[in-house]
Amino acid sequence: MQKSSRQLSKLLPSLFKHIDEGELVTVFHVGPALPETVDFFSNYRCKLHFVDLFSALPIVCNEDTTALLEQQLAQALTFPSDTRFDVCLFWDLFNYLNSDTIGVLLTALRPHLKDNSLAHAFSVHNLKTRHNSHLYGIQQLDVLSFRHRLAAPPGYAPHSQNQLKQLLHCFKLERSVLLADSRLELLLHASL
Amino acid sequence: MIGPSIIIKGEVTGDEDILIEGRVEGVINLNGNQVSIGESGDVSADIQANVIKIDGTVTGDICASEKVVISKSGNVSGNIVAPRVMLEDGAIFKGSIDMDPAGIASKEAPLTSQQPANSAATHMTSPGLDLKSV
Repeated sequence: MQKSSRQLSKLLPSLFKHIDEGELVTVFHVGPALPETVDFFSNYRCKLHFVDLFSALPIVCNEDTTALLEQQLAQALTFPSDTRFDVCLFWDLFNYLNSDTIGVLLTALRPHLKDNSLAHAFSVHNLKTRHNSHLYGIQQLDVLSFRHRLAAPPGYAPHSQNQLKQLLHCFKLERSVLLADSRLELLLHASL
Repeated sequence: MIGPSIIIKGEVTGDEDILIEGRVEGVINLNGNQVSIGESGDVSADIQANVIKIDGTVTGDICASEKVVISKSGNVSGNIVAPRVMLEDGAIFKGSIDMDPAGIASKEAPLTSQQPANSAATHMTSPGLDLKSV
């Protein structure tokens, strides 16, 4: 596995600011589990659900395949019925999904969100932003770790910030930060 | 030690540590002891122990009262319940991790062969889901 690099995050601490010490945290993490992420969460009472949707890319939804995709995503996102996520870590998944697929994904996830669920994602400042293929993790409360993927996932087609705001129907954008490489770091709040 | 050529189907219980280099299918219940799965070990079973160290392959749910360590050669598909979980660089893990010490005691009921191995591993996430055919 590639060595990890570190990157300060202004938004990451906000994901945890409402979580009191000793409170159980339930996390939905898109992508493979990285050692530093598991180590970070070992400081919390937590339940971590890792779903590596990146390994299933390209996931393409169109009129003919919607029903099948809904069924498959529902299977991939099968959690205990009482599971409600405090934190969702999407990383840059939305940059690889078309509009319909994002809709299907969020519909499947919605039953497991609650009013104060928070989420983190990466988007782009403009559509020409260079493709960075990373695995993401959490090093510290305000430090992300990222590792270059050995092979870039297929289907990179990012949405503009305005488009993405429309597509994330069960989240509203709470804050965004422009990063040095013209990407955007997003903090999302559930909007059910 | 269960050697590389040994295959066990059923329930493994006892009161001592064990190193598995062979194949085990079923249930491993060694409360209070350490279960080590060596690099050649291939376990398709729910495991309950004090410490569980994985260098090989495990498919099934894992419950440890102290800790679970997945080494760089380890490959685990299932749900882990333990107060402490450590992944080494290169470890492969698919499933969920429950590090809620308060909830762990209630999940430490003895496993029996009546319980289906890998039940949660199969109903939980499906990381291997092939969506490419869509």
